[in-house]
Amino acid sequence: MATTALLAAILEQTAPILLAALAAMITLRANILNVAVEGMMLVGAFVAIAVGAATDSAPLALLAALVASVLMSQLLALMTLGFSADFIVAGLGINLLAAGGSLFALEWFYQSPGGLRPLAFPDIWHVPAGSLSFLPVIGPALEGQSIIVLAAFLAVPLLAVFLYRTPLGAYLRAAGEDEHAARSAGIDVARMKALSLAISGLLAGLAGAQLSMDKLHFFLPDMTSGRGFIGLAATLFGGGQPWITAAASLLFGFFGALGDRLQAFSIPSQFVLMLPYLAAIIGLAVARWRTHLRSRPAKLNTRRG
Amino acid sequence: MAGVFIDTLKAVRAPLAAILLTLALGFVLVACITDDPVQAYRDLLFANFDSVGNFALFLNRATPLLLIALGVIFSFRAGIFNVGGEGQLYAGAIATTVIGVMLGGLSPVILFPLAVAGGILAGAFLGWIPATLKIRLGVDEVVTTLMLNIIVLLFTSYLSNQVIRDTASYGAVSQMLPASIWLPDLPGVRGATSGIIVALVLAGVTWLVLFRTEWGAQLRASGTNLRFAKSVGIPADRRIITAMLVAGGFGGLAGALYVLGIGHRFEQNFSPDYGLVGLTCALLARVHPIGAVATSIFYAMMINGAAYMQISTDVPRSLVDLLTGLLVLLMTARPKLKWGRS
Repeated sequence: MATTALLAAILEQTAPILLAALAAMITLRANILNVAVEGMMLVGAFVAIAVGAATDSAPLALLAALVASVLMSQLLALMTLGFSADFIVAGLGINLLAAGGSLFALEWFYQSPGGLRPLAFPDIWHVPAGSLSFLPVIGPALEGQSIIVLAAFLAVPLLAVFLYRTPLGAYLRAAGEDEHAARSAGIDVARMKALSLAISGLLAGLAGAQLSMDKLHFFLPDMTSGRGFIGLAATLFGGGQPWITAAASLLFGFFGALGDRLQAFSIPSQFVLMLPYLAAIIGLAVARWRTHLRSRPAKLNTRRG
Repeated sequence: MAGVFIDTLKAVRAPLAAILLTLALGFVLVACITDDPVQAYRDLLFANFDSVGNFALFLNRATPLLLIALGVIFSFRAGIFNVGGEGQLYAGAIATTVIGVMLGGLSPVILFPLAVAGGILAGAFLGWIPATLKIRLGVDEVVTTLMLNIIVLLFTSYLSNQVIRDTASYGAVSQMLPASIWLPDLPGVRGATSGIIVALVLAGVTWLVLFRTEWGAQLRASGTNLRFAKSVGIPADRRIITAMLVAGGFGGLAGALYVLGIGHRFEQNFSPDYGLVGLTCALLARVHPIGAVATSIFYAMMINGAAYMQISTDVPRSLVDLLTGLLVLLMTARPKLKWGRS
């Protein structure tokens, strides 16, 4: 069925963007604009393939990917919190380091700068075909999706609960909203920021692993192709709220899936690929414009003075 | 004059320290993977001066880097975090190419300034979008400039593949520009574009404008303390938008001069991330135009040298990308004397 196939494609396209968006969201709540999501995703994607090819074990590959991207996030935390480097500059540095490092590894260990394509690669767990056919429309769309796609959608309520229903989440938000107040209330602001970066690394690692491990089973040097930044835009679009961020990610995922389908027609692929980025800019502008209108001070009635 | 000298020395000292530290770390890495680290490092840094050809390539590499770095300096000094150098570069390059190819019949006296102006305007337009969105609506400029980079890259890819493609040659390249509007070579260095002179002159002009004019002072004041600037009557919003127009214009000029002086046509993906490396150069120079001359030259040496290093030893050229990342990461770090608690 066509709708099922489209829905499945949307879910698949949304998952990495959603994970990237949540990765950017959790740090945004700690008042960090995380431009390093892209780099952490890339490291996750690379390590997943490298370890998967070496050990022939999918769980091990996934675990290694997560560990690697969390380590990258902690490197960022060390540079910014420990050595007071600027978050954006250091974040861009992480991106360069990830791109350069993975390319260096490709050239040095694998002698193949074009990419890493193992002959055999272990499959991660996918929802078995036919297991969800009792659910109309959504069931068949979920069948065949990887466990990471499920994790991505599960992460939204989990993060919502974490942020709004746990003390740790409240501390994290407090550290982001007013550092001085949080500090005088006895919250270790630096530790909260490092924690948010670690969660961010975990989510970004999942996003990267989804890109390389789910269907493709190979790694390309520019594999993430801006999805980290789209996720960042989705987060800003959603104002750091988990559910709105998820909705924005779904919208971008929809554009992506739609783009793949439009390519079959005579529309040049470049314009189709542009859609999510254009949507991000326009969406951000509209969202800010609306808050702008709402927060305008009421007109003073000068006559009654 | 002494003041200028000390000013310059201060601007150069900090990046020198960061560069030396990165080079030292890189040397350790190179020593681990090759038997002849000294040869590798000699090639990385000095093979650029082995022949006139190498030297010309090195100058050609430094030109766009310096121009983009100068543009970034304008925006950063005005308090805008412009990550859009790459998009502005491509916009300038494509505009110049389209004008040069479409209006190829015009007299070069008219066509040349038209092509350059087109490049500058295209870059400036690309700087204007995020600046206006930031000032009017408060949309984060880091995100918009990053998105615009990708949009422009895709758009130029469409143009060079479908609209102005040279069907006779291999790959997605545009038709050649008329030779009458090519930039002349740098006198005495065969194959080197004279664009480097433009870039060097503009570095001096940037320094003058930013540090010796009222406009520059107002621009810097808007960047350092927006509320203070506004309260003393500086039209900060206008200064910031103009700064981004200038920044984009510099990026566009870099693209225009690349096409006119080096490529002579638009090639898809012609830039090895000049935008981000130019930004790095500007940051390394502590956003100082004279320091940027030094850092752009250093980076041009490294990027070209990496290729020579790969030929003569077995060190992959992507080592330089890795070192760049390391350098950026180390660059803004300010080690605290007291460890632990922040």
